[in-house]
Amino acid sequence: MTSEATATVETALAARAVDVTKVYGKGETAVHAVDGISVDFPSQQLTAVMGPSGSGKSTLLHCLAGLDRVTSGEIWIGDIALSGLSERQLTLLRREHIGFVFQAFNLLPTLTAAENIELPLSIAGRKPDQAWYDTVIEAVGLRPRLRHRPAELSGGEQQRVAGARALVGRPTVIFADEPTGNLDSKSSTELLNFMRRSVDEFGQTVVMVTHDPNAAAYADRVVFLADGRIVDEMTEPTAEKVLDRMKSVGA
Amino acid sequence: MWKVVVRGLLSHKVRLALTALSIVLGVGFVAGTFVLTDTINRTFVDLFTQTTKGIDVAVRTKQTFNGQNGQQRPPLPATVLDQVKAVPGVQVAEGSMFGYAQFIGKNGKPITPGGAPTIGVSVSESPKLQAGTLRQGKLPDGPGQVAMDAHTAEKHHFTVGDKVTILLQGPPQEFRITGTVGFGSADNLAGATLAAFDQETAKKVLNRKDSYDEIDVVAAPGVTPEQLRDRVAAAVGTDYQTLTGQELVEENVKSIGPFTKIIRNSLLVFAVVALFVGSFIIVNTFSIILAQRSRELALLRCVGASRRQVLGSVLAEALIIGLVAAMIGLGAGVLIAMGLHAVFSAVGANLPTTTLVVKPQTIIIGLVVGVVATLLASLIPAIRAVRVPPVNALQERVVTTRSQAGRLRISIGALATLAGVGLLLLGLFSDRGNLLLGLFRDGGNRLLNVGIGAAVIFLGVGILSPLVARPLARLLGWPFARWAGEPGRIARGNAMRSPRRTASTAAALMIGLALVSLVTIFAASIKASTTKILDESVAADYILTGPSSSAQGFSTEVVTRLAKQPEIASAAGVRFGVAKLDGADQQLAGIDPIAYNAAVRTETTAGRLSDLANGGLAVREDMANQHGWHVGDNVAFTFPVGGTAQVPIKAIYKDNQINGKILLSLANYERYYADQVDLIALVNAGPGVSAAASRAAVERVVADFPIVQVKDQAEYKEEQSSRINQLLVLFYLLLFLSVIIAFIGIINTLALSVMERIRELGLLRALGMTRAQLRAMIRWEAVIITVLGAVLGLVVGTFFGWTLVRALHSQGITTFRLPVGSLIVFVVLAAIAGVVAAIFPGIRAARIDILRAITTE
Repeated sequence: MTSEATATVETALAARAVDVTKVYGKGETAVHAVDGISVDFPSQQLTAVMGPSGSGKSTLLHCLAGLDRVTSGEIWIGDIALSGLSERQLTLLRREHIGFVFQAFNLLPTLTAAENIELPLSIAGRKPDQAWYDTVIEAVGLRPRLRHRPAELSGGEQQRVAGARALVGRPTVIFADEPTGNLDSKSSTELLNFMRRSVDEFGQTVVMVTHDPNAAAYADRVVFLADGRIVDEMTEPTAEKVLDRMKSVGA
Repeated sequence: MWKVVVRGLLSHKVRLALTALSIVLGVGFVAGTFVLTDTINRTFVDLFTQTTKGIDVAVRTKQTFNGQNGQQRPPLPATVLDQVKAVPGVQVAEGSMFGYAQFIGKNGKPITPGGAPTIGVSVSESPKLQAGTLRQGKLPDGPGQVAMDAHTAEKHHFTVGDKVTILLQGPPQEFRITGTVGFGSADNLAGATLAAFDQETAKKVLNRKDSYDEIDVVAAPGVTPEQLRDRVAAAVGTDYQTLTGQELVEENVKSIGPFTKIIRNSLLVFAVVALFVGSFIIVNTFSIILAQRSRELALLRCVGASRRQVLGSVLAEALIIGLVAAMIGLGAGVLIAMGLHAVFSAVGANLPTTTLVVKPQTIIIGLVVGVVATLLASLIPAIRAVRVPPVNALQERVVTTRSQAGRLRISIGALATLAGVGLLLLGLFSDRGNLLLGLFRDGGNRLLNVGIGAAVIFLGVGILSPLVARPLARLLGWPFARWAGEPGRIARGNAMRSPRRTASTAAALMIGLALVSLVTIFAASIKASTTKILDESVAADYILTGPSSSAQGFSTEVVTRLAKQPEIASAAGVRFGVAKLDGADQQLAGIDPIAYNAAVRTETTAGRLSDLANGGLAVREDMANQHGWHVGDNVAFTFPVGGTAQVPIKAIYKDNQINGKILLSLANYERYYADQVDLIALVNAGPGVSAAASRAAVERVVADFPIVQVKDQAEYKEEQSSRINQLLVLFYLLLFLSVIIAFIGIINTLALSVMERIRELGLLRALGMTRAQLRAMIRWEAVIITVLGAVLGLVVGTFFGWTLVRALHSQGITTFRLPVGSLIVFVVLAAIAGVVAAIFPGIRAARIDILRAITTE
């Protein structure tokens, strides 16, 4: 967290967590999954969130993405504070401002690839911007597969469809939860390249939870979590540096 | 293995509860039918026992003729009573009389119990023979006195001391009520109204001159009824029948057997339909649950369970569900029996009430039916489920229930449908239909063929329906995909994705709606046919009948006086009777040929109706052909009065759906029948007389006969159609349960689909679908399914209706009428049912935890 970043908070931050805690259960059995995290996610950056299992990285992502409520603290998406939003407003916020890529089961089996990509827009009753849509389709390289259903696509193709879906609505921020978790290395590389391009060429913002140092190496910045707290940060990561840091963070 | 069974059951409580509910209702209907009819039977047995109380031996004439109101016996002369009194061992012997007597209510209208008779009786002088229980006041003991049954008194606000007018065979008379009577704890006799007179008064008002309907005897101490019966029988000779009181009760009980049997069998038809629909639900639910558990079953196979063991565990689940549901269903049966009782009362068929009778046989039948239906229905999904290869347990695979539109399915479905149609048509159109099913040759009849045919058609269409489910769902879902946004589009996709599930859910509704549309079409066709027949064949301006809900006739005086009115051109009374032709009962109508010819258009092929003026009869063409009769032939009939007589055929007429097979000239009728009562009178107004004037003339005459109802043609049609509508409502109510079961099935399927698609729903929510949109999505899927079922049902129902109407063409149902408006209403109602069915699954879907949905493995 640099001083320049805080100075331009209104315009330059896509998402932000302020002193966020998330506690499951009560009393003695309470689990502090997220234990006082403050972190900024600047626009037009690919940020990786890393940490060992149980470090709270997925919980943090869910809270940031408006899928889960924080116990205390505040989440901002752009200039919208999430704690004041009703269930419905939160849903609309996800629809308008957030893109998702999950680890698995990203697509509706009954819809074609194209329909899946347009899904968030058509839920909102909007039509995609054709030029932008074409750009995205070209970027993921799925043009010939658009009429296929998920069952007929490979795992890598499915994840790229999910990536295209996240991108096509031009959200404020895209959250990716272990997007390469189920992919082979070739497919992983394709997907990560795509995410990199969407930041560099299309000016999107991506927050990616991963435990793969190779994936994290694609990020502009890596945030390390352990026991629900931020323990370290790294800019211009490489796979080796991340791996080293992971070892020291100590799982 | 049992542990697996029990755990399996416990982990699907809600869905199994809903499944079981369909069996509960089906078994409930079956059990309720038995409870109701057993109760009715018991009621009558109690009543008969009560009314024959004190009678040791009864004497009456031998049965002769089946009249309009059941068996009628001529009275026996008073001399027989003297013979009986002389028999040693007779303590008391008394003649009793019963006949027609109908109260006029305080509103001036005759009191007509729904369907039950209006009886006048003589009160026995000996207290030992008095069957009734005096409730208030005292028994009548002189002219102008009457005792009334307590039920009528209460319902129509009569109290002891009131005056009441009573319609009798002769002119109406006024009486003073001296008391009210009941029968044991019952307030009346199975719904009948009762007017009790002392012996002398009864003789006059019931038109019995020195004759009795029955002689009741009390045995002296030490003489058994059997001994006395034999002695009396020896004394009175073989012209009379002598029975013990016990035999009398048994005979009466036997005589109501057919009545309760009709009720039981017709209700059972509906109960079987409900069970059939319930079986569809079970097939469906088990298929879905087992598909969802296929990994679990595969795992069982992996760890060494044999296919047989897995099948056993699945069937054991079904057995337990069936057993529990059947037991609950028995309880529901008692409630349903009460409900049916209320339904019958609501449509005017009064049934006497006592405590409900639950026989052991009812319990056994209910349990067996419930368990067998559940086991049979779960067999197919169970066999399908155990075919799962063990390796499936190890594979990460989303359950896909894409059915293969296999050739086998098409062949079996088509074969079943065709076989069903064949059976149906054979049953409807051929007497020899049951030759096809040798199994049913003995007990089988055309109706059974029709029923089995219909069931097989339902099965066939059910088997075929997955093939049409996808295109039909695409078509029916089009408006939603077009106008209901993304939820509508996904709903259509979901309805199309597993055609087998969609189809079998819809099929359950299809059955209910097919039957509902069948009865609706049938009723509309009857109405249209009646109207057509009336328009074509009846020229009369007014139709006069007795009280609407009974076959009670009225005095011939009405027609005599009408004919004398200047505004009236002619009035034709129609009397009905039965004569024996070659030993078999033959219905006939007694008519005044001239007046009748003016009122009913009858086209003759030989002779003319007016040729009957000097006696003789006219016969319908088909009957004449069948017997090879020609005008001028004499036919031997046996009549109640005068025995066998040769009657000449004077005319042969074409069927006009009104005349019946034989018209007997009034001159002959009056000679051959003792009772002269018109059941219907047809009145033509004079030429140029205004409707108001002729109506006034008719009303003027009828004013003295409160029992007679006057209707012009429009009113008559109106009455006919409202009667049909009443029946239609009864049918709707009876079919309602089947529709409810189908409705439960829809809820069940939707709820199961929600469970199965929990990850998709979570994904949609994550991507920004609101709860309202999610609910809408499930709602439109439900609507597509219900409308699909409704459309299939209408198609099948229309086919059934059409064939039924064709088959009954000769019975007077000549017009096929498709009540388009009603059928559209059914589809709309089905759509609304879909909306309602989606509420609970929708709420569940909207409440799912997004995080759990998208993170569960």
